[in-house]
Amino acid sequence: MANMNKKETAKGGKGPQPLIGISRNILKIKDLVSHIADTGLNILVSGETGVGKEVVAQNLYFGSNRKNKPFLKVNCAALPEGLLESELYGHERGAFTGAERKKRGKFELAHGGVLFLDEIGDMSLPLQSKLLHVLQSGVFSPLGSEKELRADTWVIAATNHNLEEEIFEKKFREDLYYRLNTIKIHIDPLRERKEDIPLLIDYYLNQYELRYPSKKIIRPSQSIIRELIAYPWPGNVRELQNVLKRILVTDSWEEVLQGLPKLHQIGNNRVVPSPSTVITPDRPGPEQFATLLDGIFSHLEKESQDFSSFSLKDIKRKAVDRVEREVISYVLHKTNWNRTKASKILQISYKTLLYKISDLSIKPPQRASQNLF
Amino acid sequence: MGECMPQKLLIIEDNEEVLISLYNYFIAKGFDVTSASNGLDALKLLESEQENFDLIITDLIMPSVSGVGIIAIVKKKSPHTPIIAITGWGEHPEALAKEARADIVLEKPVELADLESLVNELLSLSKDQQKK
Repeated sequence: MANMNKKETAKGGKGPQPLIGISRNILKIKDLVSHIADTGLNILVSGETGVGKEVVAQNLYFGSNRKNKPFLKVNCAALPEGLLESELYGHERGAFTGAERKKRGKFELAHGGVLFLDEIGDMSLPLQSKLLHVLQSGVFSPLGSEKELRADTWVIAATNHNLEEEIFEKKFREDLYYRLNTIKIHIDPLRERKEDIPLLIDYYLNQYELRYPSKKIIRPSQSIIRELIAYPWPGNVRELQNVLKRILVTDSWEEVLQGLPKLHQIGNNRVVPSPSTVITPDRPGPEQFATLLDGIFSHLEKESQDFSSFSLKDIKRKAVDRVEREVISYVLHKTNWNRTKASKILQISYKTLLYKISDLSIKPPQRASQNLF
Repeated sequence: MGECMPQKLLIIEDNEEVLISLYNYFIAKGFDVTSASNGLDALKLLESEQENFDLIITDLIMPSVSGVGIIAIVKKKSPHTPIIAITGWGEHPEALAKEARADIVLEKPVELADLESLVNELLSLSKDQQKK
């Protein structure tokens, strides 16, 4: 599973990307999808970035009697509030500066079909209120218009946020949450369903073979597959897809493995965690900073053979990432992973902290040493 | 009750302890009880043609398919099947349950004897409706 690159998908026709996996989580999702796709009830799909929330939405859509109607997607995090409102509900000509023409909103355009609201957790509170009203009443007004429009639009929302936590912090409306959450589908991160990795590898390589028939794709050996299984995949299925694509260019699985981020460098068929993957029980000591410097110098030595990708900016970013990782891990450990408290200590917003935890692949202690092999 | 076939109840509750106590209570009272520990299992029971429940008791807050989802699905298919929703979680799901046309919404804690009399009341009401 992975997100499709298309921003919007037009009407029916070909089927969705299949839900791939044999893990309990994926089997349960397939079972759920087959029983609820036709109910038209609001659905909330949750899971980390890159797990394939849109693929689940597509499967719901194709399993429903709306499959010949539109499937439209709006990313609620990608647009500022005003634009998002106009994107969803449309606007009249002259409704605001720059609105030179009348525009129909996605709610209206998706009539009879599906509106996939991605990153719903990033929607502002005023827009959450408006969405709640639309879901309750089924009617909405385009910006600058007094007339009310009615649309039969099936809303499937997705988020990588913990909305329960955000309700507690008054960042997400509880009533909207319950309305969207009539049915909830949670997709586990790939590191928690490693048994799906070989199937996903197989599926994507088959896809590439179909797409590039003249290209002979080398299949990974069992030991390479074991190494790919051992990697924790912080970017989930999307990262796996991107890594697999490299084989089209490099023709060497060893090279593909070497290209995996340094923090998770693999050797001897297992993950070698960086000092901070194992959550530091106490304040980072000098050895950790020595490791940090070691890492930077080994990076420099490696790059010095080929200066084409050498950049001080890049080194700075990597160093900052590692320092941030150490500090955030330390504070999370000290606060028992209370992210609200940790964000206050670090003087960053809760949202930024969540983003950094995910971006820097910081894992809670029990997951740090998780390894199936 | 009494003269004819026992009434068929479906009880949906994700808390095992609560489910067992409801199950045992209504079995002891002579009902034909089927239980489901989550919304998806309940949905499968409801989809199977053989099962035709006289009344459904459902929890509202459950993972994957919520009680609100179950109520909406049942009422779409068979609007006359009486449903009692039980919630322990404040007003929002409660309002949604009413909107989805649950016949009665109760807040935990619920006295089993009170629940039983509500069940009997709804069952006799739905019998009257059927006769009409």
